[in-house]
Amino acid sequence: MTAVSGAEGYRERIGTALAGSWRFAGLHATAGGTAVRVLLAAPDGSTRLESVAAERATAPSIVDLVPAAAWDEREAHDLQGVAFAGHDPLRPLVDHDPDLGRWTVPVRGHDPYEVAVGPIHAGVIESGHFRFHVVGDRILHLDIRLFYKHRGLERAAEGATLEQGMAYVGRACAACTVANGVAYAHACEEALGLRPTAELRRARTILLELERIWSHLNDIAAVCAGVGLAAGNTRFAALTERARRLNAALTGHRFLFRTVAVAGSALALGPDELRAAREELTALREEAASGWRELAFNASFQDRLPEIGVVAAAAARRLGTTGPAARAAGVREDVRAASPRLAYDGFVAVVPERATGDVQARFEQRALELWQSFTLLDALLEHPLGPAVAERSDAERELGVGRVESPRGATSCVVERRGDRIERLRLRTGSYASWPAVAHAAADDLLPDFPLINKSFELCYACTDR
Amino acid sequence: MLTLLRDLRRLRSGLALPRPERPGSLAIRHVDAGSCNGCEHELVLTSSPHYDLQRFGLGLVASPRHADVLLVTGTVTTRMREPLLTAYRAMPEPRRVAALGDCALGCHPLGTASELVGPVDALFPVDLRIPGCPPTPDAIAAALLELLDRPAGRRLGRT
Repeated sequence: MTAVSGAEGYRERIGTALAGSWRFAGLHATAGGTAVRVLLAAPDGSTRLESVAAERATAPSIVDLVPAAAWDEREAHDLQGVAFAGHDPLRPLVDHDPDLGRWTVPVRGHDPYEVAVGPIHAGVIESGHFRFHVVGDRILHLDIRLFYKHRGLERAAEGATLEQGMAYVGRACAACTVANGVAYAHACEEALGLRPTAELRRARTILLELERIWSHLNDIAAVCAGVGLAAGNTRFAALTERARRLNAALTGHRFLFRTVAVAGSALALGPDELRAAREELTALREEAASGWRELAFNASFQDRLPEIGVVAAAAARRLGTTGPAARAAGVREDVRAASPRLAYDGFVAVVPERATGDVQARFEQRALELWQSFTLLDALLEHPLGPAVAERSDAERELGVGRVESPRGATSCVVERRGDRIERLRLRTGSYASWPAVAHAAADDLLPDFPLINKSFELCYACTDR
Repeated sequence: MLTLLRDLRRLRSGLALPRPERPGSLAIRHVDAGSCNGCEHELVLTSSPHYDLQRFGLGLVASPRHADVLLVTGTVTTRMREPLLTAYRAMPEPRRVAALGDCALGCHPLGTASELVGPVDALFPVDLRIPGCPPTPDAIAAALLELLDRPAGRRLGRT
């Protein structure tokens, strides 16, 4: 149950919590910008919200205590009009200021110049703008401007019923639709005083792991593409295709759209479907392992991966990096390890042996998690699954929080409601949390390595922009 | 390398491979104007071994300058309006526009009205509509091949 406090000492409470084992998990302004709320999460899975009133549309900044809050504060300024005292300069994030000086970091010195890339990229890639400050091929600094795809999904959901809200959350991103949907469902259920039954927990965990499998297969293919290794790329792209076909066979949709609902699940899997699914998953696992071995012994490919795009553990913690990118740096944190609302009993997060936080470590992390997900799914699909519901466990409240490990990291959802209507919805995805790490990773590396560095994160633009 | 290419050409003529049914090709430039990333993920797989659209002469190209077709995904957001128009204007004539996915077609787009421009045909004429949420690689492949087979499409690249 998320604890909510809002009296004096906002900054002090957050500072004390962060000095302990609490981690920053998001900041948002309420609808109308009258207050700011900070979500904190502990390793045991508990969450708490710290609130402060935004008097005269200004709230105290916490960016000095927790740099990971920088994007959240900038977003709250652009979308809810809240200024943050102490956050200077408060650069625009969602708003696109034509004045370069307003949103880029000034870079001075001998002969630096700028390379502007995007929002339209050379391949089939989502839209976003990268402004590299370089000397020769060396990147000194990277300013990332996203939100080209900002659709205002959160604001559009305000006033909708909790049930209708799922459509907005589900459409935020195709690659994280299950993770985002489950985080939202958990938030709504906490607000409604509901708790999922064992069957519902299993249904959602199956969906989450199916999403992770196609996503990680896709990410391995993407890194091969980033190096220009067609053999690896096509092999893992073919496996991604098979994983999506399996999704369609089990749920009727290749991306598992509309499989997550608030307070229940319609997913039913009979013995024949389960047998076929487990057989296909075993085949996929063997084929992926064989493809992975081939990549491991491809020296010219492996030569490209180490010691570039480094995000070490200290930087990952400071920037609030999450998911495979953080674990590849040795930060052994995974929301699945403390998810009582899901069926992850006994789950232990994995990190690579060589947890250096470079492209190679992130690449290996995908494979480690992939084997883990295959094992998890095999056990989850042992027994037939029927439609399931959430049951009453606690008193109703105005506010709920959900946290889920998406393929790209910890995704948090806060739902504030009035009756059965959404008053404010905030979805902070793993991609959103990890984008600042991409800029950090690029600094000091060579411009031609950036596509590979970016692919080793493979973050979504859609669920960042919303 | 030249020897290799010469040998390959000899091999081909020696084998007397059938000529492809479809003459010509289409160079496609994709622009994400505000999608959920679903259409992109399916579009990427049209190049994967199960579909391999390149064997029909359909290739995704890096620049609108090289493109016959502008393939647009997503409801056009206010922030993508200008970049999308810039890409469109950069294309040589004759050019075709394909709208990929329900959002690009204006079917049930979600979002705040002030952040959205509208469907693709709010900006310029659309020649090919590919429905689906997202359309499967099969559906994308079938639709693009139909564009290649159109009488108008056959003229592409020959003017």
